[in-house]
Amino acid sequence: MKALARRAAGLLLGTLCLPLAAMAADTQPTHEFTLDNGLKVVVREDHRAPVVVSQIWYKVGSSYETPGQTGLSHALEHMMFKGSAKVGPGEGSRILRDLGAEENAFTSDDYTAYYQVLARDRLPVAFELEADRMASLRLPPEEFAREIEVIKEERRLRTDDKPNAKAFELFSAMAYPASGYHTPTIGWMADLERMKVEELRHWYEAWYTPNNATLVVVGDVTVDEVKGLAQKYFGAIPKRATPPAKLPLELAEPGQRQLTLHVATQLPSLIYGFNVPGLATAQNPRSVHALRLISALLDGGYSARLPSRLERGQELVAGASSGYDAFTRGDSLFLISATPNVQQHKTLADVEKGLWEQLDELKSTPPSAAELERVRAQVIAGLVYDRDSISSQATTIGQLETVGLSWKLIDRELDELKQVTPKDIQDAARTYFTRERLSVAHVLPEESAHE
Amino acid sequence: MSDRRAPRQTFVGAGLFALALSACTLLSAPAHAADAGKPANTLQSLAELDGKAPSRRQLNVQSWKTAEGARVLFVEAHELPMFDLRLTFAAGSSQDGGTQGLSTLTNAMLNEGVAGKDVTAIAQGFEGLGADFGNGSYRDMAVASLRSLSAADKRQPALKLFADVVGKPTFPEDSLKRIKNQMLAGFEYDKQNPAKLGANALSAKLYGSHPYAFPSDGNAKSIPGITQAQLRAFHAKAYAAGNTVIALVGDLSRSDAEAIAAQVSAALPKGPALPAPAQPSEPKPGITHIDYASKQTHLMLAELGIDRNDPDWAALSMGNQILGGGAFGTRLMSEVREKRGLTYGVYSSFTPMQVRGPFTINLQTRAELSEGTLKLVQDLLADYLKTGPTQQELDDAKRELAGSFPLSTASNASIVGQLGAIGFYNLPLTWLEDFMQQSQALTVEQVKAAMNKHLAADKLVIVTVGPKVPQKPLPPPTEKPADQPLGVPEH
Repeated sequence: MKALARRAAGLLLGTLCLPLAAMAADTQPTHEFTLDNGLKVVVREDHRAPVVVSQIWYKVGSSYETPGQTGLSHALEHMMFKGSAKVGPGEGSRILRDLGAEENAFTSDDYTAYYQVLARDRLPVAFELEADRMASLRLPPEEFAREIEVIKEERRLRTDDKPNAKAFELFSAMAYPASGYHTPTIGWMADLERMKVEELRHWYEAWYTPNNATLVVVGDVTVDEVKGLAQKYFGAIPKRATPPAKLPLELAEPGQRQLTLHVATQLPSLIYGFNVPGLATAQNPRSVHALRLISALLDGGYSARLPSRLERGQELVAGASSGYDAFTRGDSLFLISATPNVQQHKTLADVEKGLWEQLDELKSTPPSAAELERVRAQVIAGLVYDRDSISSQATTIGQLETVGLSWKLIDRELDELKQVTPKDIQDAARTYFTRERLSVAHVLPEESAHE
Repeated sequence: MSDRRAPRQTFVGAGLFALALSACTLLSAPAHAADAGKPANTLQSLAELDGKAPSRRQLNVQSWKTAEGARVLFVEAHELPMFDLRLTFAAGSSQDGGTQGLSTLTNAMLNEGVAGKDVTAIAQGFEGLGADFGNGSYRDMAVASLRSLSAADKRQPALKLFADVVGKPTFPEDSLKRIKNQMLAGFEYDKQNPAKLGANALSAKLYGSHPYAFPSDGNAKSIPGITQAQLRAFHAKAYAAGNTVIALVGDLSRSDAEAIAAQVSAALPKGPALPAPAQPSEPKPGITHIDYASKQTHLMLAELGIDRNDPDWAALSMGNQILGGGAFGTRLMSEVREKRGLTYGVYSSFTPMQVRGPFTINLQTRAELSEGTLKLVQDLLADYLKTGPTQQELDDAKRELAGSFPLSTASNASIVGQLGAIGFYNLPLTWLEDFMQQSQALTVEQVKAAMNKHLAADKLVIVTVGPKVPQKPLPPPTEKPADQPLGVPEH
């Protein structure tokens, strides 16, 4: 139920929602320290319930991978559950399960992260297991042989048999011509077919070091307690140099690219993506915050422009959305997708025309004060709502740290957005919404191929 | 904003942007066994745990009835300056009365118009206050929810608008037409979703002519003919105060909460609770195949399960947890994924409802292994029913349940969900505690007996969705047994 509601408040903030305390509640005490081996630790106290979340974030993901070796970060994530010095394959999961913990992991283009949510007295077990696999992963070949089959099933389930997911994978490969964001996180099937456990060993040794990780703990803990435990379990793992990590930089204006796909879909749809910077790569952060506000104006709620004008007013689209993740390690995309309202006989060409009217209006006409005020109200409330979940707080902190920004941005969030003027919004629209930065995908039903 | 579930989010847009991030979460499940075959676990931290069940947030659930007969459940939580209000109505598709999709359409139309405000003005009203309006409609229940800051200048106007939306919607004709079109587009999208195709076929086979047989959002034939008058009539009876449970959690005093409940309840139509649907009759077992051009075959197995007030719920929940209810290390996951690499995930569940809800097992596997995999899953279920869980499995599952208890009430969002379910199914306020105590007292024999009382290996209704391809035999499993974790303390 929550998904779309979150989307409305959250899109404005990219894929994450930054909890800020300043408004209506007291700030939650947040502390950071770094162990001698370079492991950075951020602790946020939340004493509402005797539970805690522990997340470890490694600075490695699919944007670090090279052609022929796609999918390594994600496959390594799977193999991190297959045993280390103190536990056999799968045993760590069983131990955590029996303690009533929720645990899992996720891989993206910029990071690989592992987490446990558990009763506060069990935190030491989470730390010991996490430290053990940071220091001494086993990577048994026979486990890999089975696990790569599971990963291929995952790819079939989530991409190959999902027409829109497949379309978006191909779209991304086109829209990022220069950077590692080209690469699908799960990896191309041909690379999964030829992946070797030795490659995973190298990947692990290269990137899984304490100095390349951030440990985030949110919940019913004190900083002293966490400091003691972190030192005890992670402190002895030696520091090791990691390969140089280059930021994923894109061509600013690669020229318009167009992709037409016929997939097993019933209805046509389109995807637009403009090459734009992220917060970590922008010359002027103000332009990034302006793009975030633009995304909120377009799609930050049911009263925003895409739903109120294109979906309801003109009945041009059956659905449309925009998205912009500013919190990336490298350059980003400003995305719009839409499905024409076929009951009203609208076509993709009609939708493109309608979208450009919206984009051009952003260039020519400043948003109204009332519109901006609504956006701001949602930001302020969203910052409070996000604090209801310890996991969402930890994820915000971990992601910011891992893409090279600081969790302290959270405290500046509202000010940064307030400083954006209507003119900044127009300038950003003029700079970024151009044909030279645009990739277009037309996703069409298969039968059209024969027309 | 609305988080209506039927039309809008079926479209590309809603799904797309989540992909980049979510593409690859999850689930490196444990594997059995392996290498050295020794119980390698030498965790110091585990040995140091004191073995007591963990403490948890103490909830003081307060409950009363409004003058109009709505049941209220309230938990005061002042830590964050916000509150959650959730109304649950017995207004799901089991109340459609032959007009399939009427319940979903009514629910989706709540925030499309009230006196003096159209859909955009309503959305602007909530969003300008930073409030989240949510709605959704399912088989038994329909939900309308509000999350708002608790400061009076935000709370009061948000509540006033919410009360109008749930109590006095105008169901404007232009919105009705648009939402119908969106639902029709949604049905088109469903055709490219083998999981949805399979789930619809499974419900039909399992429930026959019972209301649970039909998808809660209706179908392309039923939706176009639904009229404004039908929505009004459905709203008047199914969104009546006596048919409503009000759950409230957050930064409110008891008197605030009483005032809010009274305000919302008074805004609703007057009327009693609707009767639950009749119990379904036993389906005919058998396999249905839907031909579909995909790489994987979806396998769905089901039987009738239980209603929410069944005294066997604790035993069945525990029995299912061991069979396939958790992510890691369940019997199904161990055998199908971990030992053989046949699937990304396999899960079983009981869905207790107002009347007998389904027991289901779901998985996907590569098409050429689908027959062998289906046979394997059937054998695993039959074997489990025959032998029951081991003492070790039961002890582990009890520890897991006790350990996860604190997580179930850690956030306002999770508490309001628990209160809604307790209220809707008329469970006692002590239900969370009772369930925990019953679960901890279970024996192997009780779990086995309950599973066999409600399930039988030869009663499965099965639907498969995928391409017809020549079948291959399954790969042999790894035969090394799992290391059982040692040293997990008792509690």
